[in-house]
Amino acid sequence: MRSGAAAGRLLVTDSTPPADEGMASTEARRECETEGCSKDAKLQCPTCIKLGIQGSYFCSQECFKGSWVSHKLLHKKAKEDKNQNESKNCVERDINTDPWSGYRYTGKLRPHYPLTPMRPVPGDIQRPDYADHPRGMSESEQVLKGTSQIKILSPEDIEGMRVVCKVMQYSMAAFMVFPFACTARNCYPSPLNYYNFPKSCCTSVNEVICHGIPDRRPLQEGDILNVDITVYHNGFHGDLNETFFVGEVDEGAKKLVQTTYECLMQAIDSVKPGIRYRELGNIIQKHAQANGFSVVRSYCGHGIHRLFHTAPNVPHYAKNKAVGVMKPGHVFTIEPMICEGGWQDETWPDGWTAVTRDGKRSAQFEHTLLVTETGCEILTRRLEDNGRAHFLSQM
Amino acid sequence: MDGVMMEEEDDCPDLVPIETQSGRPAEQIPVTIITGYLGAGKTTLLNYILTEQHNKRIAVILNEFGEGSALEKSLAVSQAGELYEEWLELRNGCLCCSVKDNGLKAIENLMEKKGKFDYILLETTGLADPGAVASMFWVDAELGSDIYLDGIVTVIDAKYGLQQLTEEKADGLVNEAARQIAVADLTIINKTDLVKEEELNQVRDTVRSINGLVKILETQRSRVDLSEVLDLHSFDSKDGANLAEKLQLVKSARPHLDKSVLTVTFEVTGDLSEEALNAFIQDLLWEKMFCNKEGQPMTVIRLKGIVSFAGKAHQVMLQGVHELYELNETPQLWEENPRINRLVFIGRNLDKDILCEQFTSKVVLDTEKNS
Repeated sequence: MRSGAAAGRLLVTDSTPPADEGMASTEARRECETEGCSKDAKLQCPTCIKLGIQGSYFCSQECFKGSWVSHKLLHKKAKEDKNQNESKNCVERDINTDPWSGYRYTGKLRPHYPLTPMRPVPGDIQRPDYADHPRGMSESEQVLKGTSQIKILSPEDIEGMRVVCKVMQYSMAAFMVFPFACTARNCYPSPLNYYNFPKSCCTSVNEVICHGIPDRRPLQEGDILNVDITVYHNGFHGDLNETFFVGEVDEGAKKLVQTTYECLMQAIDSVKPGIRYRELGNIIQKHAQANGFSVVRSYCGHGIHRLFHTAPNVPHYAKNKAVGVMKPGHVFTIEPMICEGGWQDETWPDGWTAVTRDGKRSAQFEHTLLVTETGCEILTRRLEDNGRAHFLSQM
Repeated sequence: MDGVMMEEEDDCPDLVPIETQSGRPAEQIPVTIITGYLGAGKTTLLNYILTEQHNKRIAVILNEFGEGSALEKSLAVSQAGELYEEWLELRNGCLCCSVKDNGLKAIENLMEKKGKFDYILLETTGLADPGAVASMFWVDAELGSDIYLDGIVTVIDAKYGLQQLTEEKADGLVNEAARQIAVADLTIINKTDLVKEEELNQVRDTVRSINGLVKILETQRSRVDLSEVLDLHSFDSKDGANLAEKLQLVKSARPHLDKSVLTVTFEVTGDLSEEALNAFIQDLLWEKMFCNKEGQPMTVIRLKGIVSFAGKAHQVMLQGVHELYELNETPQLWEENPRINRLVFIGRNLDKDILCEQFTSKVVLDTEKNS
């Protein structure tokens, strides 16, 4: 897109480390783009930022104005290129892959609209309170918003959790027809209409960190896919997710997925009464970083029982201020999201799909755990293959 | 659509500052929370700040983020003497497993689109718990937010303040006015022209006994020197020396009022065990395990201190608001100075002797004992 000479007249290499931790980045000294001007550039062209053109640095507005006539040609070219690419895929065979004009995707993934129509859940299945709220809000959760009191489940409650988590195991294997697998076992698929989420589970491919909305995109060989399911049965929610390989994947994907799984399992190993919830982030980040990966900060694990999401908050990054100490009877999830590149995330205009800012891939694993007197019980442990995740048989 | 594009192309846009790539932004933006009863003078203070700071870009949010039902919230921005309105989109999305509060994310998103502010002022409704609002903005440094919590400012009416502070609440709930003072970094006693000197002294003394650390300013019509209100850096660990000085000046309060919010302070010399200190703070803040002599549980609203850990050359700052707390190393070194731990607790049912005794026996390392 740009000529070699003009592209990035950086005098110091500005490296963005994949797992940045508390280090201030070296300030790159940049030179003004204007031909013949070598003054320090502290300003950037906002249109270039919007169009994704890297490095349009200038020393001052006046200097910029001087180059405007030639500079604006870069914008023109970028827009033409974009139109060319987009119009190819745009609406092919009635599938729209550019539903939000102007949005700049961080990676290669595109939504494939329209979504299939919402199917109603059979009326005889018990529904959580948000299922019928016009905005999908959960009043029972709102009431407890902001409190950090963690519920200690009674033996009856614990039994309810065991049942719902076991039921999920059957559903995970059939995730492609998840809504049916769910209702066949008298469960409501928890994500459906939760704050207006349109589908029954979350499917997150490659650079999608979490909350991907199942759409019409066919899976491609080499993809990594996370399926996050939560079901509501007899008044309780159970939450589980796993990352799968689609066909043959590259070594990088294998390493990412394996490390992510290990992060979760190491965190689970430490769970027992007396451990602080804030400690889990230290364990996860240490292992992720040791393998050159970063930990997503914006999303965390959570308490789960009669409510889908409640106290405690379980961040997955180190040095967090999570409130609470584990006690027997606590039930919560740990669900680290680990990234090949940086941890920064952004959300698609659908208001849900979280993607990495740099477009690199992210993997996740999750279990629902019950704290026992001596440690914890993995309520959502897989019944086959000694509890091991599916991807391990494909390594 | 094409027509609009052509126009944009011809207009030379204003340059924006270069965005740094790392997670830690070059300059973070302070959020100041302004609280106080209706009529105390908060709005007057806000207007005063907006008109005085005409060369800064300031955002003012009124009535904080309420019940989570609104999808949008208006925000007033003052820039170069002009006042205009912006809209915060409170994406309902997933409030649930999101670490950052919706309100915080909305502000960050807005700044990404429309550029950064120099200051953000958040006015809370008189009855809101400012501590809860503060925790929205007191984010972990690890989140690399553009925003940091600068401080909490409480405005109190010189004429009616004392009455508000002494009002007894049903069910033993904490008096809101007292809580607002307890959590404040700066208290502005406003409308001093409406009271006599003795009344003003009473208000000042009452504020002091509730919060031994707070800075107090006295004003008429909310007119203050803005350098005293902005850039407080109350939650910053960089200014350890400043805090250390302030802590030395704090005295424990003598109870003025029943069931009142008070300041208790003590100092203990010696190194602490980091693990034991964390356990002590958690027992105090999360488990509410300590009781006073009448058996009532101690409730801490604000906590500040400078502590010494064995083997750490730097002084460590302790900060707490309700249940959130943080321990951060400051740039200050102990060097040859005696390692004196100073702690200030602001809250209800606090018993200095019990706290001090528990602290000394459980947290301070006894160098003569084998650990």
